[in-house]
Amino acid sequence: MKKMHRASLLLAALVLLGGASGLYAASPGELLAQVDARRYVPDLSFVMRMTSFDGDKQVESNTLWGFVKGTGTENRSLIAFADPASVKGRKMLMDGNIVYLLFPKTTNPIRLSPLQVLLGQASNGDVVRTGFAQDYDVASLAETDREGVHCYQFTLAVKEDRKDASYRRIVLWVEKETLRPVYAEFSTGDKLLKQATYKDYRAAMGKDIPFAVDIRDGDNPQKHTIMEYVKVGQKAVPDTVFRRDYLPSWVPELPR
Amino acid sequence: MKRILLPGLLLGVLIGVASRPSALWAWDAQALLDVLPTAALVQQTPPFGPWMQTETTELTLQGALSHTQPIVEGLSLSGTVWGMADSLPSQSPLSTPAAKIDLQSRVLEMKLVWEAIPGTLIWDAGKKVIHPSSGFFRTPLNVISHGPLGNTANLTGSAVGTWEEGWVGTDVTLLVGSLSIADFFSPRLEGGAAADTALQYLSTPQPDWQDLARVDLRLGEADVRLLGLLSTGGPGSGDTSVHVTAGAGLDTNIGQAVTVRAEVSAENSQNRMVVTDSQLGTTGAQAVSWAPRALAGFTWTNADQLSVMAEYYYNGAGFIGDDYARLIAYSQNLRNGSFTGPDVLDQFGDFSAAQHYGFARVAGKIDDKLTAAGWTTVNLQDFSGLTGIVLTLSYDTWTVNASLMDAWGNTGTEAGLSPLLWRVDMEVSLFL
Repeated sequence: MKKMHRASLLLAALVLLGGASGLYAASPGELLAQVDARRYVPDLSFVMRMTSFDGDKQVESNTLWGFVKGTGTENRSLIAFADPASVKGRKMLMDGNIVYLLFPKTTNPIRLSPLQVLLGQASNGDVVRTGFAQDYDVASLAETDREGVHCYQFTLAVKEDRKDASYRRIVLWVEKETLRPVYAEFSTGDKLLKQATYKDYRAAMGKDIPFAVDIRDGDNPQKHTIMEYVKVGQKAVPDTVFRRDYLPSWVPELPR
Repeated sequence: MKRILLPGLLLGVLIGVASRPSALWAWDAQALLDVLPTAALVQQTPPFGPWMQTETTELTLQGALSHTQPIVEGLSLSGTVWGMADSLPSQSPLSTPAAKIDLQSRVLEMKLVWEAIPGTLIWDAGKKVIHPSSGFFRTPLNVISHGPLGNTANLTGSAVGTWEEGWVGTDVTLLVGSLSIADFFSPRLEGGAAADTALQYLSTPQPDWQDLARVDLRLGEADVRLLGLLSTGGPGSGDTSVHVTAGAGLDTNIGQAVTVRAEVSAENSQNRMVVTDSQLGTTGAQAVSWAPRALAGFTWTNADQLSVMAEYYYNGAGFIGDDYARLIAYSQNLRNGSFTGPDVLDQFGDFSAAQHYGFARVAGKIDDKLTAAGWTTVNLQDFSGLTGIVLTLSYDTWTVNASLMDAWGNTGTEAGLSPLLWRVDMEVSLFL
């Protein structure tokens, strides 16, 4: 019995070691893919609140309803503005870098340039939807402490075939124990565009999702936007709903 | 050359009385109050009477109520109704009706939408507006547009107004891969004079049937749009022969900062009025075949949130050369009271008589609350035009728009013949 107990302990230790060695054995790219896989929910539907601040002063607050498929440059999402009243009824289709905006009481979505999207609040969605492993190569990987948390520090460079990604370079801090992103810096390479702090991790639909992301402006860190999920769910939709001509017919609904 | 002087101050108060919906888009309401003091030079007894300045204030209250009601999964009902009370329906200071308020209302849209195959096959029936055009100041592909309703000030130079009445019909859309195919059929709906009078507060008659087919295709990053329209006559016409209109459009991005658009449409036969003698004031009708309307434009945005839009418009049914010179001379004589006759200059709408027009708009953000825009429309044949400046102050629940619009050009030009010299508009919007 004692032998069996020892054998069990040994087996458990081997399994643990094996798992751990598997973790360490993973290439930086595989590790990055695991970071994505732990938080990525396919066919995510959501209600999201975006609140912008200049210092401590609240500048703007929007509530968005929508759903999203894919990540990064392959991301496609439908977003509807629920409040404030001055923008209520606007609907947006984001198909990678191609973006359409439909104003209330109009029937033809207008096309926006990537820069127009990047300048608006909706551009912060880029940060939330970033597919690190999909669009970026790991240029370097190190271990470091950040605010008392032991982290992997990835330096990511955009892949050659993903040059249309919004950011050329990302430095990403990931909690080593849980593989949760905790902080990231998004830049053009030379210029820091955004800093993101990932917060309020919750388990939902079998994933570990940051329910709040605080995104600071690279030029002026006093300006920041907090994106919070109010409600999330899953909704499988055909690819054709991410067509310009579907936007006028789309009736947004709460996540289920 | 005498010109009608119309200095005006338009004060619009837009009050949103949005409901508290249980679902997104449930109820949405707007009310728009315009206060328009005007001073105009108007001829007392045309064509030879004296001109006199007369002042009055026009009050207009407009409102619209919208609702979208999901019925079951994939089935929804949506609609918008609009109403207007106008103290001066003639819009002329010399035609003030005594103690009368003109009332109008319409069902702008009211349609049942059914996703027969979710995301793939969509069928809707009822009344709807169809605007395939991506143009801003002209819209060649909006081939079945009714045009703006009411008298909301056009602050931005946009061709599409705040409210527009749709067409009763049925629309089927098929979305397959990167292709979408749609067909809208609108029947002739006339019930005789009594019925039309009874229904005037719900819908205008549809004297023609129309069938509009659209095909949209994504080619790389470009959207290509093709459309074909079969119709009898056109909006409001009694022409029973079948007309064909064909159109094509393209939208795409260039780099990170630029969007471009181009579109063209043409009708197989179109009637226009022409001036036969500008001194005698005689006019005639002329048929024009396959005269294209075309638009090309771009929008550029920089990293400081400055955007620049420019569009060129070609109006194939418009006038150029000697025809245009004769039209201007005729219009000068008409405005001088040398004779009476139809307004040939504005037969296609305001500022649309020539063949070549340009439009430019610059807009930027001054701070988080304040944006500014300036725009100009130019007749490229006589270099006259309209110019506007708009300031918008925005908060979560209300906005204030202030604009100044000016028509410029000498009396031998299209804009110089416009009765409008300048106008100041102020519009306050409140959302509850």
